[in-house]
Amino acid sequence: MSEEATIARTPPTARETVALAAQVQRTTCVLAAAVLLGALALPWLSASYATTLAIEIMIGGIFASGINLLLGGTGLVSLGQGMFLGLGGYGIGIGTTVLGLPLWLSVPATLLVVAILAAGIGAVCTRTRGVEFLLITLAFSQMFFGAAIKLRLTNGSDGMSGIPRPDLTFVGLNSDNPVVFYYYVLIVTIFAVAAMRRIISSPFGSVLAAIRESERRAAAMGYAVGRYKIGAFVIAAIACAAAGVLQAQYTYFINPDSMSWQLSGEGVLMVIIGGATTVAGPLVGAAVFVLAKQGLSIVTTEYMMFFGIFFMLVVALFRNGLVEALKAALWSKS
Amino acid sequence: MQVFLTQVLNGLQLSMLVYLLAAGLTLIFGLMNILNLAHGAFFTLGAYCGVVVGSSTGSFWLALLVGPLLPLLLGIALQSMVLQPLAERGRSTHLDLALLTFGLLFATAGAVEWLFGSAFLSIPTPMALSGHLDLLGISYPAYRLFIIGIGLAVAAALTFVFDRTLLGATLRAGVDNRAMVTALGVNINALFAIVFGLGAALAGLAGVIAAPLTSVYSQMGITIVVETFVVVVVGGLGNLRGSFYASLIVGMTNAMSQAYLPEVEMFAIYALLIGVMIVRPQGLFRSVERVA
Repeated sequence: MSEEATIARTPPTARETVALAAQVQRTTCVLAAAVLLGALALPWLSASYATTLAIEIMIGGIFASGINLLLGGTGLVSLGQGMFLGLGGYGIGIGTTVLGLPLWLSVPATLLVVAILAAGIGAVCTRTRGVEFLLITLAFSQMFFGAAIKLRLTNGSDGMSGIPRPDLTFVGLNSDNPVVFYYYVLIVTIFAVAAMRRIISSPFGSVLAAIRESERRAAAMGYAVGRYKIGAFVIAAIACAAAGVLQAQYTYFINPDSMSWQLSGEGVLMVIIGGATTVAGPLVGAAVFVLAKQGLSIVTTEYMMFFGIFFMLVVALFRNGLVEALKAALWSKS
Repeated sequence: MQVFLTQVLNGLQLSMLVYLLAAGLTLIFGLMNILNLAHGAFFTLGAYCGVVVGSSTGSFWLALLVGPLLPLLLGIALQSMVLQPLAERGRSTHLDLALLTFGLLFATAGAVEWLFGSAFLSIPTPMALSGHLDLLGISYPAYRLFIIGIGLAVAAALTFVFDRTLLGATLRAGVDNRAMVTALGVNINALFAIVFGLGAALAGLAGVIAAPLTSVYSQMGITIVVETFVVVVVGGLGNLRGSFYASLIVGMTNAMSQAYLPEVEMFAIYALLIGVMIVRPQGLFRSVERVA
C-alpha cells in the first residue's frame, strides 16, 4: 500500500473539495474543447467511414440526451422513447412525401405535433411511476408501432423512402455529400446538447432533480410535480423526435423498426453506459454503443445476443456509467 | 352467432395462454418487486425445448412434460444466482433488475437464433387432440379446447395453492410484508427462487402448448411478453386473481378486434391499457393501495 493511496482515503477538507471541483471543471472544459475540435476536424483527419460512424454517434447522442432528461434528470425510466424517434421520422416523411410540404415547414410542424402528442401521452404516463411508468410508455410505443405497420398512410411495414435532406444550395452546398451532412448533424448536436445542459442547470431542471430524489418532498414544497414531469416528458420527446428527423434524413428512409421496443432499449442502454447524471454521458454512451455495435458486426452476425449480454453486463457492473467511473478515477488520483 | 361463438372460444384460448405467463409474472412482481421482462424468454425456451423433445421422440406428451423443466431450472438459477446477489449488493431498486432482465430477453432471443437459426419451427398437434369437437352447434378444434382446459386447471390449482395451503399463506404474507415473513423464520430466498422457477415453468408450459398452434421462432417471447405486461398492469401488478380477469379481458379484446375490426388489431389492447391507466392507474382489480 503506497503513501499516496493512504492519503487519498482521508476525507477532503472544504478547501480541497472546492479546488477539486474547480479542477474537475477545468478538465471538463479542456475535454469538451478537445472533443469539439476533434469533431470539427474529423472529416479532414480520417476516411469517410469515421464520418459515418460519427453521424450515427451524434444522432444516438441526441436520442439518448432526450432519454437522459427523463432517466437521469427526473428518475423516470421510459422504454418507449423509440415512438418519438419514429414519430419524428414519420412526421417529416408524411409532411414532405405525402402532403408535399417543404422541409423547412415539415420539421417545425413535426416537432410541434410531437410536443402536443407528448403532452397528452405524458399526462397519462406520469400518473404512474417506477415499473408502471416503464410499462405504460412501452404500451404507448407498441401502439404507435402497431399503427405504423397497419396504416396505409405510413406504407405499412415497408416504411417510407425518399425522405429529403435539407436543401443547402443557397449557400452552395449539397447535403447529399456525407461531409456536408456531417456538419449539419454536428451543428444540431451542439445546439441540442447546449440546450439540454441549459435545461438541466435551470430552476426547472433543479425541480426535476428534486422530483428524482424525493417526489413527495418536492410536492410538499409546493411544486406541481405532475406539470414538471409532463414538461420533462415533452422536452425529452422533442429531443428524441429531432434525432428521428436526422435519422430519417441520414438514411432517406423510415420504417416501423425505428419505433420498436429494442430501439427504445438501445437508447436506455446508451444513457446507462454513459452515466445518467451528466450532460456528456449520453454522448459518451452513444459513442461506446455505436463503436461496440460496429466492432461486433465485424466479429459476428448474432448482434441481438451480444446486445443482450452487453446490456446485462453494463446494468450489473457499471450502473453509474463510464463518466462517473472516470470522475471517480480522477478523484482518487488527486 | 356461430362466428361469434367461435370468436368467444378463440378469445378464451388466447386468454388462457396469456394467463399462464401473466400468473408467474405477477406473482414474481408481487413477491420480489422484480419486473421480470425476461419472462418471454422462458416462453421461447419452453417452446424450443418442446420442439427438440417432440421431434426427437415424436411424443407431444413427453415434450409437454419436459418443456417446462429447462425454464424451471433456469428460473431458479437466475433468481438465486444473479438477481438475488445483485439485490443484496444494493441493486434493490427494481428498475435496475428490470433492465437486466430486458437484456436477458434479447440475449435469449439472440442465443436461440444462433442455435436454431431463424426458421419457423412447429410441433405437430398430438393425434388424440387433432380432431374437432361439436360444441353448441359449432365445430371447434379439440386442441384449442385443450388449451382452455389447461389454463382453467392451472388457474384453479394456483387459486387452491394460494388460498388454502401453507405455501400460499406464506406467499400472501410475503406479498404483504416481506420483512415480517423473514422475521418469522421463513427462508425467503428459497421461497423467491421457487416462485421464480415455477413462474418460469408456467411460461415454458405456455410455450410448449402454443407451439402446435403458432410457429416457433426466436422472437416469439418478445412478442407475447408485451401482451402479458398489458394483462398484469390491467389486473394490478402483483394481483393473481386480477390477472386472471385481465387475461380474459385482453384475450377477448384481441380475438374480437381480430375478427371484427382487423385494422385496430395491433393496438386495441394498448388502447384498453391506456384507458385503464387513465381511470385506475393502480389496475382494475387492485384492492390494496401501494404507497410510493
